[in-house]
Amino acid sequence: MGIYKERGKIMSLVINKRYDESNKVWDVELIGEVDIYTATDLKSEFTKMLDEKKESIKLNAEKLEYIDSTGLGVLIGVLKKLKEGEKDIIILNIRPSIKKLLHITGLDKIFVIEG
Amino acid sequence: MENGTNDLIRLSVPNKPEYVSVIRLTVSGIANRMGFDIEEIEDIKVAISEACTNAITHGFCQQENNFNVDFLSGKEKLTIKVYDNGKGCLSQNIKTPDLTELKEGGLGIFIIKSIMDDVEILSNDGKGTIIKMTKYVGDDI
Repeated sequence: MGIYKERGKIMSLVINKRYDESNKVWDVELIGEVDIYTATDLKSEFTKMLDEKKESIKLNAEKLEYIDSTGLGVLIGVLKKLKEGEKDIIILNIRPSIKKLLHITGLDKIFVIEG
Repeated sequence: MENGTNDLIRLSVPNKPEYVSVIRLTVSGIANRMGFDIEEIEDIKVAISEACTNAITHGFCQQENNFNVDFLSGKEKLTIKVYDNGKGCLSQNIKTPDLTELKEGGLGIFIIKSIMDDVEILSNDGKGTIIKMTKYVGDDI
């Protein structure tokens, strides 16, 4: 389990986000774990992003070590809003265990999975 | 490990989201010791987190309380039980556990059933819910 420190506090989940003006897409990097403890933070961040710009989200999951239904639920909710504007969630560099989870749940058919 | 010997490890865990990751670490340690491979351990971590998330969000008593996790480690399988202690609540606002909701499930229960080899969801004498799940070691068929 990775433990990340930010300003002296241990963070189970770090969310780095940047709006890519030229490609009109959100670049998001998730570092750490998304579970019942951190899923609400994830949801707030996505809400802020969508309030700002309702554009597709490119999620770099290279350093995403863990996710379960709490996080998947957040992503599904975000995708629903994005689909209204024909936008997508694209997940990149996903770890095998998480790819497997997306396959078990059929979510590999609704998120775009690359890399 | 001797034939027929089952080791019981028992955790009493605060009803708080931050402890689910601690439980994942515990199950990783136990499963690794039993010879599960990395993929299986990742699966078990998800399944146990789903069960604990259920215990916390649908917990019988929403007040400050603990729920329980039992690990029964045998030669061929690991059985995990997640349950609350069934002690009544002092407050009048008791949330009746909705077994139907749990049984029909949500994504969490579906995931547990997809990952684990045997899954039982039982009512704890009307005082909460038990999620019991088993993973067999060495699934080479």
